Amino acid sequence: MNFTVESWNQQTVVVHVGKALDFRNASDFKAACQEQVRAGVRNFVLDFSETGILDSTGLGSIFSLYRQVSPLDGQVVFAAVSRPVQVVVQLTRTYKVFRQFPSLDAAREAVK
Amino acid sequence: MAQHSILVVEDEHTLRRLLEYRLSKLYRVRTAANGEEALERVKEELPDLVVSDIMMPRMDGFALQAELQKTRETRAIPFIFLTAKADENSRLKGRRTGVDDYITKPFDIDALLTRIERLLERTAIFQSQLDVKIGQDFSQKLMPKKLPTVEGYSSHFFNNPKEHGGGDLFDWTEAEPGTFYITIGDVMGKGLQAKFYAFSFLGYVRSTLHGTLRETRSPALLMQRVNQVLMDDPTMEETFASLLLARWEPAKNELTYANAGHCRPLIVSPSKAEVVPYSDIILGLDPMAEFTDTTLELAPESAFVAYTDGLLEQEMEGGAQLGEGGLMDIIPGFYREDQPIDRLLEHILEKSTLPEFADDILVFWLARQALRQRQTPRWFSPFGDQADRKA
Repeated sequence: MNFTVESWNQQTVVVHVGKALDFRNASDFKAACQEQVRAGVRNFVLDFSETGILDSTGLGSIFSLYRQVSPLDGQVVFAAVSRPVQVVVQLTRTYKVFRQFPSLDAAREAVK
Repeated sequence: MAQHSILVVEDEHTLRRLLEYRLSKLYRVRTAANGEEALERVKEELPDLVVSDIMMPRMDGFALQAELQKTRETRAIPFIFLTAKADENSRLKGRRTGVDDYITKPFDIDALLTRIERLLERTAIFQSQLDVKIGQDFSQKLMPKKLPTVEGYSSHFFNNPKEHGGGDLFDWTEAEPGTFYITIGDVMGKGLQAKFYAFSFLGYVRSTLHGTLRETRSPALLMQRVNQVLMDDPTMEETFASLLLARWEPAKNELTYANAGHCRPLIVSPSKAEVVPYSDIILGLDPMAEFTDTTLELAPESAFVAYTDGLLEQEMEGGAQLGEGGLMDIIPGFYREDQPIDRLLEHILEKSTLPEFADDILVFWLARQALRQRQTPRWFSPFGDQADRKA
């Protein structure tokens, strides 16, 4: 487990994904996010600046989060997407669903 | 790994507290004073093992055990009886009802701990063997027993499911004479759960295919239906899958496909490999997702090659993954091999930092053969060669 959660405001957190989100820590990631949703968080900014590995299990956990918050008018956005993460996002065409921002600051501006 | 949970059932207060104290150093312990209370605890949460007295007021140990035998979830919970009665009668009765172990009071706590450990170990081994067996069973059902055989074409298939691999799937069907539908997908997740979801998912794909073919032959529309099923059916809520659906009509040498976020297939010839670029979003995310059909014509001596991501994610010398570009660089060299996939995979392993593939590998190779060299000059042929000529 190498992700950390940082609260921006009552509704919004940024998750610093860390080096890897894959089959080894995906269920921890999912549980941590669910806890945030239960506490009232609706918007998740995922910081991928350091992420070298995102496998399909990791991506699946992000999708679960998306399906959980989108009916609650929440959103999941990506910030500072690294090259390996970009490859996965391109392959799965998920940029159609997850807005991307070049930096955390840009994401902070856009996510209220 | 999470701690094992143990339920201690003992009417005598002091002994119950003693057991709770000693066992809680190693396990998560809950207690009950009789069989009825024990059933309540079991209902709250299934324990991994039960340690129970026999002689208790309300419901005794035998009655508790009999009760747990009645339902499927509780039947397999290992059971250790503690009793002051060292007499043969209760021992024999215990054996008859399928007790897993039996310790007479006064007992040595270390002996009890050893037995608990042994039983938990045995259960874990049994469980993992069962997982492997079920996993293999699913894997076999997710893969074809044979391949389509069509004159002028050759097809190859390779699949190496890993015990802790993912939910790769492959299927084909000749929906009407001369029209084949090919399905390649990957359900997200790992291990038995992914295989199970892949198995259910493939069932959905098959039934959608059969149910919809009367209305449409379009892979894109079929894809849309499958996506809707994933979005609407609560049991499939946690299922996300990449999927490639292709309609293959060998008489026209045409493939029409829709791609939902799956690895992009390649068109391979002896001299080059090209990616088939168009794809849409992965399934299970967007209820309004739309998909598009792309039709391509397979030239003589070229192959349509589709695969799952385990191939691209293999770590190569230098630490980088093989990747789409890496695959495209090497794959034409294997075109003329009798077993192109086997040779390709051997080559990748030679250049990999790992002795074997880290993930599931699935490759499907559909090659249109070169036009035959004719004995007679073409202009003498009374029939032409519609099947081989470009439309």
